This record gives sequence, C-alpha cells and structure tokens, in this order.
Amino acid sequence: MLDVRGVQFTYGVNDVTFQVTEPQLIALVGPNGSGKSTLLKLIARVLTPSRGEIAFDGRLTGQWNPKEYARSVGYLPQEPDTTFSIRAIDLVLSGRAPYLSRFSWESAPDDRAAETALATCDASQLAERYVDEMSGGERQRVFLARVLAGEPRLILLDEPLASLDVAHMQQVSALLRTIVRQTGATVVYATHDLNWAAAYSDRMLVMERGSLVADAPAADLMRPDFVRRYFDFDAELVTANGRAWLVPR
Amino acid sequence: MLVLMALLLVAMEVATVNGSAHVSLRAALAGDNIARTILFDVRLPRVVLAALVGAILGMAGSTFQTLLRNPFADPFILGVSGGAAAGAAVATALGLARFPGIVPFVAFCGACGATAAVFLLARRREYTDATRLLLSGLVLNAFFSAIILIAFALSRSSDLTAALRWMMGTLFGASWSDVALVGAFAAAGLIVLAALSNDLRMLAFGEDDAKSRGVDIERVKLIGFAVASIITGAAVAVSGIIGFVGLLVPHLIRLIWRGDYRSLLPLSALGGAVLVVVADLVSRILVTSSELPIGAFTALLGVPFFLSLMRRSR
Repeated sequence: MLDVRGVQFTYGVNDVTFQVTEPQLIALVGPNGSGKSTLLKLIARVLTPSRGEIAFDGRLTGQWNPKEYARSVGYLPQEPDTTFSIRAIDLVLSGRAPYLSRFSWESAPDDRAAETALATCDASQLAERYVDEMSGGERQRVFLARVLAGEPRLILLDEPLASLDVAHMQQVSALLRTIVRQTGATVVYATHDLNWAAAYSDRMLVMERGSLVADAPAADLMRPDFVRRYFDFDAELVTANGRAWLVPR
Repeated sequence: MLVLMALLLVAMEVATVNGSAHVSLRAALAGDNIARTILFDVRLPRVVLAALVGAILGMAGSTFQTLLRNPFADPFILGVSGGAAAGAAVATALGLARFPGIVPFVAFCGACGATAAVFLLARRREYTDATRLLLSGLVLNAFFSAIILIAFALSRSSDLTAALRWMMGTLFGASWSDVALVGAFAAAGLIVLAALSNDLRMLAFGEDDAKSRGVDIERVKLIGFAVASIITGAAVAVSGIIGFVGLLVPHLIRLIWRGDYRSLLPLSALGGAVLVVVADLVSRILVTSSELPIGAFTALLGVPFFLSLMRRSR
C-alpha cells in the first residue's frame, strides 16, 4: 500500500525506506527533532522529498491528483488550527472537503460520514459544541473524527497524544486500535513515549537524527541497551501485565 | 441571507428618498422633472455605489481574515489604503486634483502598486508567509503616511480640501459611470472568490492541513489576496478610505451565523452594503448644511466594537 524509498528532505529526514502492506497500527517514535513530523508531512504531500520516492497504491505521490490523494490519505497536524470558533460537527464535515467539487456543498452522504466518524470516536454528544470550548481530550477526538470523515485508508497523526492527560491518552490510544480494526485503515502516529508506543502498536518505526534506525514489533525493541543508544534514556526493564516496560533507572 | 437582502432593499429605498430634501418616489415616477433628477441622477447612483463599495469591503475583509487566519485583518491591511492615499496625495501635490477622474485613477494605481510591492516583499522561495505579508503591509503603510504628509505639505490649500475629503471617505458626486465601473469589479471579484471559496475556507484550518487535503495553497493565496486587493482598490478609488467596514462586518456576521467562508463571503457582502448605505444616509442627513465623512461614521461605530473584540479575545 505504502512504499517509501530512500526519502530525503533538506532538513530532518535522511534516506528513509519502509513499506506498509497490510492494515496496521504503526507507532513512529524517536526523540524530539528526530524527523518524525517531517516524515509524516512528506507522506501527506505537505512537503515534497528532495530525493527518493513515495508511492501509494503503486503510484508515486506526484502522479496523484491532490484531491484524489487526500481522499486516500488523511493527516492530522500536531497543533491543528482553529482561528475562528466552529462547532464540532462543522469541523468534522470539513474533513469531507476532498470530495467536494468547486461550487458544491456537503450533501447527505457527507453528513452521514461525519456522523459515523463522530460515533467511532465516541464524540457524537459533542457534535453541537464549539471546539474552542472543549477539553484537550474532547478536541483530539473531534479532530480524529475529522480525519476519519474523509474515509482514508492511510491515516497519519502527528503527536496525537502529546497534550493529553493519562486518562485521555489511554482513551485516544485505544481509539486508534478501534480505527484500525473497524475501518481497515492503517494508522501511523508519531509519539515520543516509548512505553505507550509499545503498548499500542503492531509495529514500531524508530527515528533518530532523520534516519530510520529500527523497524520491528514493539517486543523486539523494548531493550535497555536500545533506548540508551537511541533515546539517551537510562532505563531498566520491568515486566508487568505480561508486557515489558521501560522505567528510569 | 434573505433577511439581509430585504434589509438592503429597505435601506436603499430609505436612503434614496431621504436626504437634505425629502423627495418622494411617487413624484418622480409621476413625471416631476426635479424629483426625477434628484432621485435618479443624484441619489440613486450614490446609494447603489454605497452598496457596491460596502459589498466590496465586506468581501475583501472576510477574505483577508480567512486567508491570514487573523480576526483583526481588514481590506487595507496589505497597504491598499496607504498606496491609494499616497497616490491621491501626490496627485494633489502636483496640482492634478482639479481634473476629474485623475485622483481615483492614481489612487487605484497606488493601491495595486502597493499590493504588488507587499507581495514581492513577503514572498520567499515560492512561499508566501502570512506574518511576513502582514508585516510588509504594516511597514509599507507607515512609509506611505510619510509620503502623504510630505505631499500635503507641498500642496496648495485649495486643492487640499478635496484631497482631505477623499481621504475621509465620501460618495459625493457619484455617477452612473462610477457605478458601472465599481459594479464590474464587485461582480468579477464575487465570482472569482466564490469559485475559490471551497479551497479558501480550508486555509482557516492552517496551511499544512489545507495542503494535506489537496488544496494548492500558494495558488489560492495569490489569487485570493490579489482579487481582494484589486476590488478594494477600485472601491477606494471612488469612495476614499472607508474604514472598519471590512473589519466589522465579517465579525458581526460570524456572531449571527457561524458558517465558514462559503457563506461568510456573500453574507459579508450584503452586510457591508447595508452598513455603508446607512452610514452614507446618516452622513448626509445628520447635519444639513454640510456632509459628514462616511469614513468617520463607520469608524465611530467600528472603534468601540473593535476594542470590545480585543478585550474578549485572549
């Protein structure tokens, strides 16, 4: 489905190669400034690689019609902008934009997609509320619903857990699993929290200084020597609930 | 939208019939020649022009606020007013203000020139940054104020009165040819901006977000800014600088109707038209011996609103 080959960008991303062939929940981890955001923007077509190629469904990103690509690939920036106050349902509906032609407005199928997306994100009760009056967790669910409303097959989320408290982190992470299971889409999300990434992913991509240094299931990567080397984190491994956790030494 | 349309029609009717002398529509239609001249050759073109200028300012204001993602943006923010006023001031200093049509023409050229300059200053590596645009507009407006002051100091006092009237905003002496010219700009602007509105509204969510949804953001910004500035230039050329309509109206519309740019654009056009028609009417009838500048009236209304807006925003 997604084929990233030797991708490079002037700052931040250096010769990154990986493939996605089946629906997965993929955590993109790495320390701050390791190039996670830039990589997601390259795949979302926000940036153009200075070298290398990205293909989706066998076609290079540059060969896609931009709107058509946007229907297949949804992207949520790290700090989504809402300059003017807007109701949640209108925000989610705006996720249907790639489906609209020049003068057309949203129609019944768009309304249905928006309602379904809100329901998937457990946010139906928020529909009439204004986004700027919501808590961080509510906001994040509404913005996720906006991405889902576009019915993409590849979903790119930049630090979706960053501004959330621990309860909301758990809620949103579980939601990412639900999305992969229910919609059959692949979710790639950036995070710098290794333990969360390990708990909520089928596969981890680890970046360091612009390069992809590891690509493996979480269980293979949760090792103290590994995190010391790439995250400069002096950690100890403990086992709880049948899973490995890294804790500060 | 229907309410605003009805409001506009009522305002235009009242504004046409009322003035320093009350002239009834019935008398004009009955064949009273004086009433006919006053209504159809003096007042009606003025009222229609007021509506067109207001519509343009409303459209331009909503466009700039959406494109710049800045609730405080107004149609003059990219140096349009400064450029137009500097053009008019220089024309006055050169003694050209006595010839009809020169000041509006030079003002229009000044407005377009200023917009182009702001764009060239803000554009870097094929990317136009909103903050740099705002800053360039601000700095250029300051530069133009200096030119205006110098030009005025060098002008003859008899020419100065007319130039000052223009700068304060006035629709005195509006003709049907003004209406046709500004109407063409307003219609063309509305069509282009409406065609762009599905893409343009997405910019309100941030540029990366819009781009990831297939919007060609550089193209949208270029066309949006250029069209909004050119129609503003056309309005400024005939009416002078009428402040706060472009800032105020989109906010009033947003308070009543929480839609996105696609509905904001036509509603702001209608709202702007109503406000300027009413402001023009009040400026004509408040003091019968002289005409008060419309620009002052819209600003009198606009400043308190702007301040309360600023207090409420964090």
